[in-house]
Amino acid sequence: MHWPILATTAQPQFDLAVFLAFLFQPNGAFLGAVALTLYVAIISQTIGSFLGVLSALAGLSRNRLLRSISSVYVWFFRGTPLLVQLVLVYFGTPYLLGIDLFPANEDIGFISLRGAVLAGIVAFSLNEGAYMSEIVRAGIQSVDTGQAEAAKSLGMTYRLTMTRIVLPQALRVIVPPLGNEFNNMLKTTSLLTIIAVQEMLRVAQAQASATFKYFEIYFGLALYYLLLTTIWTLIQGRIERRLGVSDARTRDDKGFLARLTGLRNPAGAGGLR
Amino acid sequence: MSGAILDAIGGAPPVATDDVVVATDVEKSFGRLEVLKKVSLTVTRREVVVVIGPSGSGKTTFIRCINHLEKIQAGRILVNGHLIGYREVDGKLVEDREQNIARQRQDIGMVFQRFNLFPHMTALDNIREAPIRVRKVSEKEATETARTLLERVGLGHKADVYPGQLSGGQQQRVAIARALAMKPALMLFDEPTSALDPEMIGEVLEVMKELAREGMTMIVVSHEMGFAREVADRVVMMDDGQIIEAGTPEHFFRNPTHERTRSFLSKIL
Repeated sequence: MHWPILATTAQPQFDLAVFLAFLFQPNGAFLGAVALTLYVAIISQTIGSFLGVLSALAGLSRNRLLRSISSVYVWFFRGTPLLVQLVLVYFGTPYLLGIDLFPANEDIGFISLRGAVLAGIVAFSLNEGAYMSEIVRAGIQSVDTGQAEAAKSLGMTYRLTMTRIVLPQALRVIVPPLGNEFNNMLKTTSLLTIIAVQEMLRVAQAQASATFKYFEIYFGLALYYLLLTTIWTLIQGRIERRLGVSDARTRDDKGFLARLTGLRNPAGAGGLR
Repeated sequence: MSGAILDAIGGAPPVATDDVVVATDVEKSFGRLEVLKKVSLTVTRREVVVVIGPSGSGKTTFIRCINHLEKIQAGRILVNGHLIGYREVDGKLVEDREQNIARQRQDIGMVFQRFNLFPHMTALDNIREAPIRVRKVSEKEATETARTLLERVGLGHKADVYPGQLSGGQQQRVAIARALAMKPALMLFDEPTSALDPEMIGEVLEVMKELAREGMTMIVVSHEMGFAREVADRVVMMDDGQIIEAGTPEHFFRNPTHERTRSFLSKIL
């Protein structure tokens, strides 16, 4: 990474034209990077959420081995930096497995991916799974035990009890923090820069160092991230409102601005209960 | 209430044996606390048994053992001729596989003190969920049965309403309909009116009385002595983890033998 050295003490001039061009006439490389960022974030969050459900169920199981696996997993991935995990996954698999799981180009069925992108998805998913594990566990535990008992008394198996009765109710507790996780994930993808993936930060960096217009381009980049997270905030609000349909008591009336900034009125401080 | 309730599920579901429940020397403890001390009870087909007793006497724990919501440490519980929750291996009880326990529970309906309706489903969906997913009844048939059951418990107009919008008495009636939809050989009621406002107790008891008259085999944990007097075949008094006295409702009203029973009844009547 090259940082600009300000040779003079003169106040640098903000180049509005460069800034506006970056913002409103992004080149193909940057648009591709936006798409890649979204792609990696959505896939990682999906796999991570799935891992989180599995890990939470293992953590709540009566089987001691499953419980240990879950807690070691959460312990490791919450206890080490994601950046370190990313590097470990990308460079470490040849040491661990004897084969390079992430060559420069990889064909999975009809999808062709750069190995580094796949490594990123793996690292982000594993890391996200650990955080989602705790969120899902809290969600499941928030559901009254009488619900599972009623389901069991109707002859439902563990699987049916979970998928039809407990998890759908846990969802109302899970979705708000899940939304925050995805918001984080959108920004976390910028870490892929370090393993040379052409995501938003990396592409912007290249343009900045080619033109020396660092501030203009990074400022534009920040606005792009803000645009993504803002759109997500809107979508999240809709999802949460839909989930509140069946239970009037837990309806969350946070306005858009409050949800955007994280400010809440004191009455709503408890969030969803 | 209109028409016989059990007609909605094709009459009183068949039972395999005359002794629907046979519990023998059931022992249960929570850690060091012994909750059930060799409890034995046999309930025959079409019989209505009301279990009374002070709180902490083990009556709720006992009926929860009957559908294996609680494990037992010793004894046997057979429902409809099947050992519940356990397999016998060399004379010892080993907890059964989860799928087998689930299958056994299909024949045992349960109604809870706190209703435990599924809040994310409408009344209709609450009732038809298990028949469709567990009994694999067609959606059309399950829906018809569910609608008829709702009508019979007086809630035909509430099919598309969520539990949160129903009163306690209405929720409990939906819960009864939900349990009946599985066509159980036996119905367990765990203090079904204890969480209700006084003015709603009657509507729930009416449904239960109707079920009793129509020949459903029932075990009811309740202190509603009026209900017991009207429909119970037998009243069982539990105290300190044991059945200390059993007899007809008349026996309990006229001359209970046990001193403990007398003092308990004097408090609740």
